[in-house]
Amino acid sequence: MLKSFFEGGVFIYGGTMLFMYALLAYLSYRGIKLFRRKSSYTNYDQLLESPLTPGISVIAPAFNEGVTIIMNVRSLLTLNYTRFEVIIVNDGSTDDTLEKLINEFELVEVDFAYNERITTRPVRRIFKSTNTAYDKLMVIDKVNGKSKADASNAGINAASFNYFLCTDVDCIIEKDTLLRMIKPFMDEEHKKTKEVGEPCPECGYVHMIEDSRRVIATGATLRVANSCEVDEGIILRVRPPEKLLPRFQEMEYIRAYVLGKMGWSGINCVPNVSGGLGLFDKEVAIKAGGYDQTSFAEDMDIVTRMCAYMIDNKQKYAIRYIPTTQCWTEGPPNMKIFGRQRTRWGRGLSEIITIHRKFLFNPRYRKLGLVVLPYNLFFEFLAPIIEFIGICYYIYLIATEQVSWQYAIILLGFVYLYSVMITTLAICWDQLTYRYYKTWREVIGLALMAFLEPLIYHPLIVFFALKGYWFFLTGKKTTWGNMQRQGFSKKKVNA
Amino acid sequence: MFDIQLPAFLEPVINTFRYAPLVIQLAMIFIVIAAVGTLLAYFSILRNRYLGNRRDKRLAKLLPKIDNLIIDEVLTHPEAETVPADQVVLNLDAFQELPLDKKWARSALTERIIHFRRNVRGNMGLLLRSLYMQLELDKDAMKKMKSGHWEKKVQALTEFTNMDMSVADVTILPLTNSRNRELRAAARHAYIKLSKNEPFKFFDVVTEPLLMWDQVELLRIISTTEDIAIPNFARWVTYSSNKSVVSFCLKLIVHYNQLPAVPAVIKLLDTKDHYLRADAINCLGKLQVPDVEDKLVSIYSTQPLHCQIEILKAIGRISSGRHIDFLKLEFLHSTDFDLRKSAAKSLVKNDWIAKQVIEELMATATPENLRILKHCMNPLIKY
Amino acid sequence: MFIHIVYGTNAATMSKILLIEDDEIMPKIVARILPSSEYELDHVSNGKEAFEKLESTQYGYDLIITDIMMPYANGFEILSKVKSQPRPIPVIIVSNAGNEDMVMEGFKLGADDFLKKPIIPAELMIRVKRLLMKNK
Repeated sequence: MLKSFFEGGVFIYGGTMLFMYALLAYLSYRGIKLFRRKSSYTNYDQLLESPLTPGISVIAPAFNEGVTIIMNVRSLLTLNYTRFEVIIVNDGSTDDTLEKLINEFELVEVDFAYNERITTRPVRRIFKSTNTAYDKLMVIDKVNGKSKADASNAGINAASFNYFLCTDVDCIIEKDTLLRMIKPFMDEEHKKTKEVGEPCPECGYVHMIEDSRRVIATGATLRVANSCEVDEGIILRVRPPEKLLPRFQEMEYIRAYVLGKMGWSGINCVPNVSGGLGLFDKEVAIKAGGYDQTSFAEDMDIVTRMCAYMIDNKQKYAIRYIPTTQCWTEGPPNMKIFGRQRTRWGRGLSEIITIHRKFLFNPRYRKLGLVVLPYNLFFEFLAPIIEFIGICYYIYLIATEQVSWQYAIILLGFVYLYSVMITTLAICWDQLTYRYYKTWREVIGLALMAFLEPLIYHPLIVFFALKGYWFFLTGKKTTWGNMQRQGFSKKKVNA
Repeated sequence: MFDIQLPAFLEPVINTFRYAPLVIQLAMIFIVIAAVGTLLAYFSILRNRYLGNRRDKRLAKLLPKIDNLIIDEVLTHPEAETVPADQVVLNLDAFQELPLDKKWARSALTERIIHFRRNVRGNMGLLLRSLYMQLELDKDAMKKMKSGHWEKKVQALTEFTNMDMSVADVTILPLTNSRNRELRAAARHAYIKLSKNEPFKFFDVVTEPLLMWDQVELLRIISTTEDIAIPNFARWVTYSSNKSVVSFCLKLIVHYNQLPAVPAVIKLLDTKDHYLRADAINCLGKLQVPDVEDKLVSIYSTQPLHCQIEILKAIGRISSGRHIDFLKLEFLHSTDFDLRKSAAKSLVKNDWIAKQVIEELMATATPENLRILKHCMNPLIKY
Repeated sequence: MFIHIVYGTNAATMSKILLIEDDEIMPKIVARILPSSEYELDHVSNGKEAFEKLESTQYGYDLIITDIMMPYANGFEILSKVKSQPRPIPVIIVSNAGNEDMVMEGFKLGADDFLKKPIIPAELMIRVKRLLMKNK
C-alpha cells in the first residue's frame, strides 16, 4: 500500500517535471523565434540620437578589485548608450581599489545630496571626475556591509535615473547591452485604452484608463568567461571553457537562461533576474525595499518582493528576458569555490521559500503565488531532496532484491536520454539567437557534455544543494555573522 | 498483427514492450522520442552553423566588391555633388559583375546601400537611392509586402522608410489596422514618412497607447523627413482623448519649439489626469513661457508630488527671477527631499538674480540643506 | 634637385588627418571626400588604437575626426587627452549620437566642430578645410 503510494507519487512528480521541461523548451523556442523576427528590422541605434531615450544608472559594487578595476570601469564607461551614468560602489575595500580609481579618473570628493531611501551602512564619501570626459562616472565609498546587496542599495540611493542596471565589476558586459535591455521596458504591449463612466456633463471630460502593464525588470543570458579571449574588458572571442567544471557551468547557464528564463518570460512567470546582470525599474525596486542585505539569494528575493509590491498595489507587471548573451562572468574554476557557491544558492533558495511562504499557493498573488513559487518549491527546492530519497529507496530495493533490473534500466535510460535531449535543445536554441563560438567543433564539444552531466555534474549539484539546506536548518541560529561574510567572499574568484 | 518484418535484434524489445506495465511502455516510447529529438537538435545545430558560415563567407567576398562599386560608381561620380541626383546617369553595367540574380546578393546590396545612407545624406544620399531604384532592388521589398508573414511586411516597410520610397496609400493604410501590433506600428511610421496626404492623420484615429518605443521611432521619422509639413500639435493636445498621443504631442511641441501651442498646453493644466498635467508643466518649462509662472505657483499647493517637482523644475528653466521667494520657501520648509533638491536646483538656475538669497541660505541652512545646495551648485554633478 | 624640393614642400603641405571610427563604411566615405592627393589620412577603429597611434606619432596630426561611442575609450576621452597637449590638435566629432547633451559635452571638452551622421560630404570638406586654414 505505502509502496504503491510512494511509487505513484514519484511517478506523478517525475512526469510533471519532465512535462514542465518540455513546456519550457516550447515556450522558449516561441520566444526566441519572436525575438529573431523582431530583430530582423529593429534599429536599436535610434535610441542613441533620440531625446526620448530613458536614462540608466549602471551600478557595480566593488570589493578589493584593485587588479582589474580600472579596466572594468573603462569598459563600463564605453557602453553604447547616451543617457547613462556608471556608479561604482567601493564597499570598504581594504586594497588600493579606491586610490586607483581616484588617480586614473581624476576624481575629487563632492558634496552630494545623498538621499538614503534604502538604509545601508554609512556612505563615507562620493567622488566625481574633474575631467568632463568621465562625467558619467560616480564613485561611492562606503563602510563595508559584508554583502553585495548593501553596496547595491547605496548605489540605488545615489542613482539619478529611473532605471538601474545591477551588475558586478568583474562581469564583462557586451557593448550594446543597455540598448537591448531597455527595449522590453519600452515596447511592452498595452491593451486598448478604455473609457470609464459617463462623460462629465459640464466639461465633457471622459475618464480614460490605460490598461497597461509595467515592465519592472529585464534580464539577459549570462555565460562563463573562463576560456574566452578578453582584452581590457572586451570579449574578443567566445570559447567554451576548457576545464571540466566551468564547462559544465556554461552548459548549465545556457540551459537555465535560454531555455528556462526565456520560457518563463513567455508566460510572464520569470522567477529571478540574475544578480550578475539585470535592469530594474528604480521606483518599484525602492518601494519594494531594495536588496535584502541578509539574504543569500538577494537577486531572487528582490524580484519576488517587487512582484508582490505590484500585486499589492493592483498594478499589472511583467519581467522580461532577452535570449542574447549580454554578460560574461567568471565561473568558479575549482571544486572548493564551486561548492561554496552552490551551497550558498541552496541556502538562498530555502530562505526564499520560507521567507515568502505567505505568497505560496495564495491565489491573491496570482502567477507569483500559484506558478512561480510553487514551481520553485517543488522542482527547484524539493528536487534534490526527492532525488536523494529516491536513491536511498532504490538502494533499499536492491538490497531486498525487489528490483526488476530490466525495467530499472529502461527507466534510467529514459530519464538520462530525456535530460540529454533538453540540454541539447537548449544549446540548439542558443545557437539560433547567435552563432556563439567560432567552430562547430566547439559547439558539439559543449553539447556532448550533456551526456556526462547526469553522471558527474548533477550529483555534485544535488550534494551541495543538500549541504546548503542543512546549513540553513542548523546554522541559522548559531552563526549569523559567519554566514554573512561567506556571501561576499565568493566574488573574487579570478584573482 | 505485426506484418512488417522486424530485424531480429528488435524482437526482445518488442516482447518487453508488449508485456511491460504502462509506465515502462511510456518510458520506452519516450526513449525513442528523446533519442530522435537529440539527433535532430544536433543536426539542426550543424545545419544552422553550416548555412550561417556559408553566408558569412559569401558576404565576406561580396561586401568589399559592393563597397568598391558604390564608392567608384556613386560616391566618386564626377557629377555626384554638382548635378541633381535624378539627372545623374549612373553606370549600372558595372554592378552586373555582382551576382544580382541571387536574392541574398540583392538583399546584401540593399542593406549596404542603407548603411551608406546612414552615413551620408544630401545629394549623395539621393544618388544612392536612385541606384537602389534603378537596379530595381525595391522589387524584393514589394514582394515581401505581399508575404503572409508579418515580419516580412515590417521588413519591407522599414526598407521603404529607410529608402524614402513612395508607396501608394492603399498599400499601407490597410496595414495600419493590422491585428499585429508591430506591423500596425511599422505601417503608421511608414505612412507618416511616405504619404503625401495628411501624414498625421492617424493621430486622430489611434485608440491604443503609443508605446515609448513607437514614440522614439515616430520622433526620429518626423524629424528626419525633410519635406513634411509640421502641423500645430496643439490640435491633438486639445482634442485627442488618447493620453499617449497628447503626451507625445507635448514632446513634439517642445522639439519644434511651437510657441503658438502654448495656450492649449496651459489649458491642459486643468486636466484631471495628473501624469498628463506633469507632462504639460514640463512642456511649459522647456518652452520657457514666463507668463505661466504665476499660474504654476498658484496651483502648486494642491498638486501631487511629481507635479510639484515639475513645477519647481519649470520655474528653474524659465528662470524669470520673479519667484525666488517661492523657491526659497519651498527649499526651507518642504519636508520632502526631492522637493528641496528641485527647489535648490531652480534657485541655482536663477542665480543671475538669486545670488544673494543663495549666499544667505548657505550661511544659515541646516547641514542637510547645505549639502543639497552645494550639490546643486557643483558643476561636476549633472543631475 | 629641383624636383626634390618641390616634392618636399608638397609633402610638408599635405595635411595629416587621423580618423577614429568603428563603422566600416565611414572611413571609405571620408577617404573619398578627402582626396589622398591633398590629405594624408590614417584610420583607426577604436580608442585603444587611437591612443597608440597618437603616442607613436607624438600627436603629429593636423586634424582629428572622431566618433563618440567606440570600444576601449570613447571620443570624449580622446578629445580631452588631445586638448590637454601643449599643441592642441583641432578635433571634429562625427557621430550619430546627436542629442543635445552630447553636443554640449563635446564643445565643453573643446571640440572644434560637431557633425551629425548622416553627413553631407561637402559640409565635412568645408569644415575640414576651414579648421586646417585656421590652424595654419
